[in-house]
Amino acid sequence: MNAALRDRLVGYAFVGPFLLVYAAVMVVPLIMGLVISLHRADLFGRREWVGLANYSEALGDPVLHQALGNTAMLALLIVPPLTGLALLLALALNRPGRFAAVLRGVFFSSLVLSVTIVTLIWRFILTPDAGLIAEGLAATGRAPIPFLSDPDLVIPAIAVTTLWWSLGFPVMLILAGLQQVPGDIYEAAALDVANRWTVLRRITLPAIRRTLLLVVMLQTAAQLQLFGQAQLLTGGGPGGASRTIVLYIFEVSFGRWELGYATAIAELLFGMILALTLVQYWLVTRHEEPRA
Amino acid sequence: MKRALAFGFAMLLAGCAPADDRPTIVVQRFFGECGAAYGKSTDVPAAETECGILTTLINRFEAENPHIRVKVNVVAWPGYPQLAAQIAAGDPPDLVTMHQSVIADYSGRGLIEPVGPLLAEAGIDPATFTPAARAGVEKQGKLYAMPWDTIGRLWHINTALMDEAGLMRGGKPMLPTSPEELLAHARQFKARTGKPYLIQAQVSAPDFHVALLYTYLLAQDAVIFPDARHIRLDTPEARAIVGTFRQMNAEGLTTLNQDFPAATAAFTQGKGGIFPVGTWMLGPYDAEAARPGSPLHGHYAVAPFPRLWGHDAAFVDGHAWVVPAAKRSPQERAAMARFMGLLARYNYDWSRTGQLPAFAPVVESPAFAALPHRADIAALARTGRQLPGYVERQSAVQGLIGEELEAAITGAKPVDAALRDAERRVNRLYAQMM
Repeated sequence: MNAALRDRLVGYAFVGPFLLVYAAVMVVPLIMGLVISLHRADLFGRREWVGLANYSEALGDPVLHQALGNTAMLALLIVPPLTGLALLLALALNRPGRFAAVLRGVFFSSLVLSVTIVTLIWRFILTPDAGLIAEGLAATGRAPIPFLSDPDLVIPAIAVTTLWWSLGFPVMLILAGLQQVPGDIYEAAALDVANRWTVLRRITLPAIRRTLLLVVMLQTAAQLQLFGQAQLLTGGGPGGASRTIVLYIFEVSFGRWELGYATAIAELLFGMILALTLVQYWLVTRHEEPRA
Repeated sequence: MKRALAFGFAMLLAGCAPADDRPTIVVQRFFGECGAAYGKSTDVPAAETECGILTTLINRFEAENPHIRVKVNVVAWPGYPQLAAQIAAGDPPDLVTMHQSVIADYSGRGLIEPVGPLLAEAGIDPATFTPAARAGVEKQGKLYAMPWDTIGRLWHINTALMDEAGLMRGGKPMLPTSPEELLAHARQFKARTGKPYLIQAQVSAPDFHVALLYTYLLAQDAVIFPDARHIRLDTPEARAIVGTFRQMNAEGLTTLNQDFPAATAAFTQGKGGIFPVGTWMLGPYDAEAARPGSPLHGHYAVAPFPRLWGHDAAFVDGHAWVVPAAKRSPQERAAMARFMGLLARYNYDWSRTGQLPAFAPVVESPAFAALPHRADIAALARTGRQLPGYVERQSAVQGLIGEELEAAITGAKPVDAALRDAERRVNRLYAQMM
């Protein structure tokens, strides 16, 4: 056995266990899902081959179109502000000292709450009956705002809830990225009397470019799968105005028992997330030199 | 170091409890969570509200049967998506609360088992079920559940505000007898009290408008489900009903933007005249009316839905206990039978919530007759109607119709379009049903 072959086998031995588990919990279910999506199937094991009928039905389903629009709007309202806010906070908190450490903990703390608690908190804030905002408005003689029942306000309300909940993780990722930037570059910039804006634009942002890409990719994938907030805050209402794709998949599979159709929508969502992630990656890295 | 290790090991061993070999039953229910108030309560006659009484009943069962272990899953209403997932995963609970309208979905697929043998073991005679309760649980000639009550919708009325609005006569509230009179009463009420005539849960409460629609369609003998695979909603009757309640919203004659908890609280706070909600609020509101200082104190009345269209009718349903199909030991089955026996034994206490009992001897008992307002709602037992027995997937159908009605009544969608969409979505669901 030559050295190259031995090295390759050792490599496979290292990644083998992971690949086996990954295949068992990700690849096999994905393939099973594809097979089920080609059937009219109920939740309890009945199957009837229908080919691509579920997919063609999905393309003409107005409820799915509405859910797709809602989900896209949520992703747009969440991902860019989340990335921007996380960047600002990380820049502000990227310093030594106890106060900054405490604040890092504070911003991370919302992330450890479950979605049930988060939606409960925001229900207390948003509900027009004795909610925090409603009480504040009442104190100034104004009418309460129905954040959770006005079709035009539910999506922003869910977006704000999600922003509050999700801020901690991107802040930590960007902080980790910032702490990888070598200090001597900043020293050189200081010697050149570069102002703070120039340092940010010419040094910091290019240095954490890949971290920002990671944040955007992870958050895009996560927000396209938004479920708990919509289910618990509004149940997808009013009139489907806040129904997301995953909430629709849940309703179709566990409420209507149409597993085949639900799986077809899930496969479409998977394809959409994969395509978007690849496009984002390509957009950010297309001008970079290939890594050695 | 060795001593420390030995001590730690000894503590670990001391922490190990002996194996619990008692038969275990898993009870899955909705009706909410109230462990803070009733977590230790075993005094059933002292308990109030659906949640309080049921929690106390389960505590009582555990106290009376220390040889049986009870695990309780409290699910958010109605809990059917969770149940479907549990059954699909092969891990169903043992006893589950289920609306009688939903039983056919599960019995037809063999997902729940007939309960005749369990009822026999519990000493419960199905001949004592009320006709409505028996009709709700008997499918294909077999009993698939133990019925627990019959539920309907009522108008819960704040008589102080009705009096202020000039809508009381002879000490009784004047109820409308036509849609035009409903609007006239509501306008008069608002003009004189400054408050909305109706309190309604219109957010995240799909069943609310559906009960209204079903009730007034049944009152006109409209055929809602011409067969097992179709619904008929895009009709003049449905348009008139939905249009009237849309008008109520548009004129601000009802509360807006409230979910069920907010609407429930609004009624006790005297923020509106009438709350059209279920029999289950009769007990809690009666208790509130007895409390000095409450806006409802001494000013509470109930009535079946008024006859606005057609004849007297009310859409009714019922709660029942079903047993998902699964392998169980004789000891577990005996434990389940004992649990059912206890539930049946306390059916009178359950009826204190406001629901109509499922057992005829309880209905005929002086104790039940002596409960407040029962004479006012007696008509419900006579006029109450369920949907035809062949109508499946009623919970899912209710969700689809409720969403479209919510859009129509709140003005987000034209009535015609909402009813057409509801019809299309329900018919599609039936077309896909296997």
